[in-house]
Amino acid sequence: MSNNLQKKKIDSATILSAVIVLAVYALVFLAEQTLPATSMLFTVLKKGATYALVAVSMNLLNGFTGLFSLGQAGFMLIGAYVYGIFTIPVMSRMDVYQYYNGGLVQFTLPVFVAMLLAGLAAAFFAFLIGLPVLRLKSDYLAIATLGFAEIIRALFQWDKLGPITNGSNMLRLFPTFNDFNIRGADGQVTVYLSTLMPLLISGVCIGVIILLINSTFGRALRAMKDDEIAAEAMGIRLASHKRLAFCISSFFAGVGGAMLAMYQNTVQAKSFTTAMTYEILLIVVIGGLGSVTGSCISSFLFVACSEWWLRFLDQKQVLGGFEVPLLRNGFRLVVFSIIIMIVVLFFRQGIMGTKELPDLIRGWQGRGKRQAKGVRSK
Amino acid sequence: MWNTVFPYLLSGISVGGQYALIAIGYTMVYGILRLINFAHGDVFMVAGIVMVYMAASGLPLGICIPLVLVITALIGFVIERVAYKPLRTAPRMSAMISAIGVSYTLQNLVLYITGGLNQIYPTIPWISSSVTIFGATTKMVTLVTPVLTLILVVALVWLINHTKIGMAMRAVSRDFETSQLMGIKINRVISTTFVIGTFLAGVASLLYFTNYTTVIQTSGAMPGLKAFVAAVVGGIGSIPGAVVGAFIIGIAENIIKGLDIILFRLGVIKGPMGLATFSDAFTFALLIIILAVKPTGLFGEKITDKV
Amino acid sequence: MSENVLHIDHLTMRFGGVVAVNDLSMDINKGEIVALIGPNGAGKTTAFNMVTGVYQPTEGHITLLGQDITGRRPDEITKLGIARTFQNIRLFSSMTVFENVLTAHHLRRTSNFLTATFRLNAAEERRMRQETEALLKEVGLYELRDEMATSLPYGKQRLLEIARALATKPSVLLLDEPAAGMNPQETEELGEFIKQIKDKFQLTVFLIEHHMNLVMGISDRIYVIDFGKQIAEGTPFEVQNNPAVIAAYLGVEEEEGQAEEEVEQR
Repeated sequence: MSNNLQKKKIDSATILSAVIVLAVYALVFLAEQTLPATSMLFTVLKKGATYALVAVSMNLLNGFTGLFSLGQAGFMLIGAYVYGIFTIPVMSRMDVYQYYNGGLVQFTLPVFVAMLLAGLAAAFFAFLIGLPVLRLKSDYLAIATLGFAEIIRALFQWDKLGPITNGSNMLRLFPTFNDFNIRGADGQVTVYLSTLMPLLISGVCIGVIILLINSTFGRALRAMKDDEIAAEAMGIRLASHKRLAFCISSFFAGVGGAMLAMYQNTVQAKSFTTAMTYEILLIVVIGGLGSVTGSCISSFLFVACSEWWLRFLDQKQVLGGFEVPLLRNGFRLVVFSIIIMIVVLFFRQGIMGTKELPDLIRGWQGRGKRQAKGVRSK
Repeated sequence: MWNTVFPYLLSGISVGGQYALIAIGYTMVYGILRLINFAHGDVFMVAGIVMVYMAASGLPLGICIPLVLVITALIGFVIERVAYKPLRTAPRMSAMISAIGVSYTLQNLVLYITGGLNQIYPTIPWISSSVTIFGATTKMVTLVTPVLTLILVVALVWLINHTKIGMAMRAVSRDFETSQLMGIKINRVISTTFVIGTFLAGVASLLYFTNYTTVIQTSGAMPGLKAFVAAVVGGIGSIPGAVVGAFIIGIAENIIKGLDIILFRLGVIKGPMGLATFSDAFTFALLIIILAVKPTGLFGEKITDKV
Repeated sequence: MSENVLHIDHLTMRFGGVVAVNDLSMDINKGEIVALIGPNGAGKTTAFNMVTGVYQPTEGHITLLGQDITGRRPDEITKLGIARTFQNIRLFSSMTVFENVLTAHHLRRTSNFLTATFRLNAAEERRMRQETEALLKEVGLYELRDEMATSLPYGKQRLLEIARALATKPSVLLLDEPAAGMNPQETEELGEFIKQIKDKFQLTVFLIEHHMNLVMGISDRIYVIDFGKQIAEGTPFEVQNNPAVIAAYLGVEEEEGQAEEEVEQR
């Protein structure tokens, strides 16, 4: 019988999980050096890494803290803009801010500093908006955060802020994932890192979230999700812990926004719609509310299906001389919608329920009897 | 001054009436199920699309219009049975997620059917014609909307206060479990609520799209959200509240659209400020303010949690 | 006379037109077990909710060890030393027995979210775990530590709620119907248990209870309220022979079945 004091010490399942993750990184690195850079695999991995971080950050709120927030797109927008604004090379600013005389910001920050700033800016906005809205009950909170995202979207498109945000025009020419590739003197890429780096950044961020979830603060958040009144009676201050979760979630949504900017090569406020938040929420639900592993798997699956595997549904297909009916532009999304509704209605636990990778491994190792009960039935 | 403000005020009243009709659906469903029906705005949009396709099929408008209303109500009924009823005992978050799923599904279905292109809304005679009132030229629908809205609201309030099903609705919204114990057929009440709500959204779609003339899969999202905000501002669960909230939002958003010109004429500002950008954002700012200051809205009742 | 711990001074709570608690005054001294009894709906839980900060009293004051705690937030009051259990058990359902108690140590943390996330608080975390373990052994739930809290039998869940409350290191423990749903034997054990932990943790116990055997067996003093108003106060013997109390319990207005049952228990 494992002792609870020892339980915090790393068990073999956790080590094995870490090995699996490292192995995936090694494989990606190898694949990137050998496969053509245009392979769909890399598109999926880059976008998947971005979505995984955003989904996990949303799960921290909706799955672990029990705060139903729909502001994710707004915080991503802030992150994407902050990243873009501070990393466009000074010499390119005249081209980007062509209607605003080169814009106000006339310096450039290093990529990682800008990403950190992106997160901090999002967290700061979260702090401000949290003051009035975090007192609200579940569904009111949802609609208020959603409204906040819409306000941010309008604000960043405002012409008067153009010298900073470029108004309704897009930001571009900032460093993207491709700039992580190491180039030789002749300008040829010597080491490909454009896929590995986003996966690493996302991985580190998610790792930090996992550490938080398993700390005494993470327990306090879960307690609030289970029963606010009992949590408060145990001396957990609801307001400050909600704010903490909200700001941390937004921080990582901001970093995710910066990554999205790098993935897309451009940023435009109008693309950060409510629909984007819905999409991320649905990813979280499919993965399992309360499972980090689930959010990650679900993100990559979702992106792979929408960008790659189910693309054929959007085109006419001829099989054995017959044109397959129904297949045309948009059918992929219909199939998606149906899958999502089936998950929402019939498989509410999603892919993982509240289990994590080490839980799965323990199950495989056959000594998962006690943990199997840990499938926190709700 | 009056000449500057009046056209905006006029379209504000008109849009306000349309929001009101959508908001009633939100507020009634919330009153009974404590569910934000995120798909309600999309049902409104689907009503527009159904109208487009039906008119294109050559049916006379006199048949199209009632048929659209019936089909919309039917869609509301089906959505409730398929997507919400199975989750009635599940945590509230599940039903809300299901509503978001339905919204996503409806938008994607319409995207697939229409190819994602703007659909031209059929011209409904008389209400599409132009009129000039106090020097402002507008469509007839602008004048018809507030009148029709008020008639429908009065009819609805009468229904709720003076019919058996209306009484059942009031009982269920007051106490779900007890009403069930008292032998009220909960499912019938809920279905009726959805049918009424979506029917009114159908009416709103006739008026709204006559005004805006095109429909696309995302057309319902923003009006839907605004109507919900209207319901919250007015006090969720209260029909008069929803109507008042909707008019406030409709008028305010249209005034803001013209705020640059109005302020310029008043001499407050020298050049364009681009304030029209905030016409949508205002709605949400109002929402956050109301929630922070008076979470129960203008006409809402306070609910205390039991420990 | 020993030191006064909890002083309730002319407490009144109105919900709209309903007066749930009416001008209630109580004094609880260090080391005492004091019970608050009364028919259903008499306002007992409302009084608890005011003491623990869930409700803001309409009028009156609550003083803990000389400090006015009226209107403070529940978490502040817990930090000041009042812990409680709930009438309808409120355990953290996604957590194991161990985690439930461990979570209650959170309020005594010295770490912040950064030091906790990056494991710079290892010593503190270890101490929390050790204390949790010791506490679970103390209350006899150690063998069940890895079970999900909500999978425990009812009586054990009540015990776990008490353990969780103890983990906040209270000076006053409020028990809201701790014996509800327990059989006579369990109830008797619970009485012993309450006395034990009272001595062990140097507690003052304030409880609401319907099981008269338990109340009469362990209480030093009893307050009786009806319709929100105090009708009697005294030792178990005094209260049992108080005509006003007998009238309240045998009263014809309401809860006849309940009252009879309780009289029988006596």
